[in-house]
Amino acid sequence: MNNRLKVLRAERDWSQAHLATELGVSRQTVNALETGRYDPSLPLAFKIARLFQLPIESIFSDEE
Amino acid sequence: MAGKRKLYIQSAIALGLFLAATFVTGGVIGYLSEGDKDLLASPVALAVVVAFAAVSMLIAMWISLKWMSSIDEAAQEAHKWSWFWGGSSGMAVGGVFVILAAMPQAAALKIPAWYADRTDPAAYAATGAFAMLTLMLIGYGVAWAWWWLGRR
Repeated sequence: MNNRLKVLRAERDWSQAHLATELGVSRQTVNALETGRYDPSLPLAFKIARLFQLPIESIFSDEE
Repeated sequence: MAGKRKLYIQSAIALGLFLAATFVTGGVIGYLSEGDKDLLASPVALAVVVAFAAVSMLIAMWISLKWMSSIDEAAQEAHKWSWFWGGSSGMAVGGVFVILAAMPQAAALKIPAWYADRTDPAAYAATGAFAMLTLMLIGYGVAWAWWWLGRR
């Protein structure tokens, strides 16, 4: 699954550590999410969407 | 973060209490067995050790539960994945030795007496359990490192 997390984070000039704190996860988890090597659970995906104030489908996509 | 700190403190207290209980129990047993060499073979001693082992494992499980609920979902997934694949792989390696134990050649095998200098069936059973656990933990460790290295 692809996502725009890295872009959205860069737009806000946030570090991975800051995003991790906001989401209540570790920095390693944020890194795994950004590289697309770990797909978040639905609750975490909703939390990410709320944080960026965007719909989930505009952050995550299942297209290759 | 505060939850994790609280868990560290609780775990440290639990470990401290466990070590203190072990120290006191060891001292009491040493003192009592000085006057009675057969003390450890008594049913009372067996009951005490069973209770101590059960409580120790319950505390370990409680700490594990708290720990698991304190880490984030990716870390939980890494542990679950690693325990299934790494633990299963370690068990598969151990399974080879379990099958080999059925061979006639294995009957003549002598295992070093590392378990309290004993070579009785219970000591050998403990040896087998420890060996299987060790293999599973090695597999678990390798799988855990593999999971995180693949997601860097």
